[in-house]
Amino acid sequence: MDTLSILLQTTCSLLSLKYRLRILRSHFNQIFFSPAESEQLTPDDLAWLNSLPKPFLEQFNQNNLSQIMTDLENNISKLQVLILYLPFEVNDRIVEQIGQKTRIIFSQLLLLDIKYDPSLIAGCALVWKGILRDYSLKAKIEQEKAQILESFKKYLR
Amino acid sequence: MTFEFVTIEVMSAYLLENPVVLIFTIFATVAVFLYLREYNLRKKFESADQKTLDEFRQKGLEAFHQSIKKSQNILGEAELEGVKVVADTRFATSKMEQDYEKNLQAIVAQSQQAITAAQNQFLEFIQSLQLKSRQFEDISLKKGEERINRMFGTLESNLSDFLVSSEQKTLSSIELELKAARNLIENYKEQQLKLIDENIIAMMEQTLNIVLAKKLSLKDQIDLVYEALERAKLEKFVV
Repeated sequence: MDTLSILLQTTCSLLSLKYRLRILRSHFNQIFFSPAESEQLTPDDLAWLNSLPKPFLEQFNQNNLSQIMTDLENNISKLQVLILYLPFEVNDRIVEQIGQKTRIIFSQLLLLDIKYDPSLIAGCALVWKGILRDYSLKAKIEQEKAQILESFKKYLR
Repeated sequence: MTFEFVTIEVMSAYLLENPVVLIFTIFATVAVFLYLREYNLRKKFESADQKTLDEFRQKGLEAFHQSIKKSQNILGEAELEGVKVVADTRFATSKMEQDYEKNLQAIVAQSQQAITAAQNQFLEFIQSLQLKSRQFEDISLKKGEERINRMFGTLESNLSDFLVSSEQKTLSSIELELKAARNLIENYKEQQLKLIDENIIAMMEQTLNIVLAKKLSLKDQIDLVYEALERAKLEKFVV
């Protein structure tokens, strides 16, 4: 299993992946280049670091750190991302929850890019390979617009 | 005499004393002598010439008188001949005048006949011309009436066609205007209704947004997202 796959297994969103990559770089920089300084990490970050497999962590050293990080960044930029528009605001936990569920549903290590759009009302809209598919309540209303208006007009008469 | 002798003596003495004067005096004397001799000779010649001239004059006068006589004879004969010629001429002239008068009268008579005939012909021509003119006038009048009638007929027909086409054009124009106005009203109505529909939908969406934001729990929202993902899977959107 390659380095990026290990990271993707534990991270579902693009934002989190970039953040964790920065944490990883900071962690190894601290270990290899300034061991005297104490590291400032949140418990969640620390827990994530500890959850990573030992072989993965052992592959990093002073010489290849920069190269591996650059490769990772390049590979992440090439990944196909599923953009998910949600009508409500989400935290990391919910993002992770939705990400896991998405991976279960589509049976692949999908990386999500979650965006906020309150006009959708409910449900969500997806963008995959540049194509938008709207599954929101707003789209449903738009589809049923004629019937809704007809029912409204009954009352207007 | 004594005085003359004395003078001659004095002069002879003077001349002998002055040779030049003497020579001059001699020359003068000779010259006077020669002059006198020449004068006498001329006198003689002149008298001879005068005599000859008188003879010639006498002869000339005689010849002249004879000539005058002959001339008068000739003149008399000429006058006689002239009188004869004049008499003959008068006779010939009177005869010629008579002939001329006869001829002239004949010519005048012929001319009068010719003029009378020409006048008659001219009158006939005028009469035939008047007749033709009347006929032509009648024909022209008829033709003119026919043409005017035809023109009026064409005008009436054209006017009728024009009025009909104008009416049709006006009607079609009014119909087009009405159609355009109806379309405009219909478009406006449709736009307004569309706007109302959009407003209804927007109001409904806004209302739903406000209501569901309060009434729909986070779990329900996430369930709806899962439902959407399931649908996407069924539609094979993410492959």
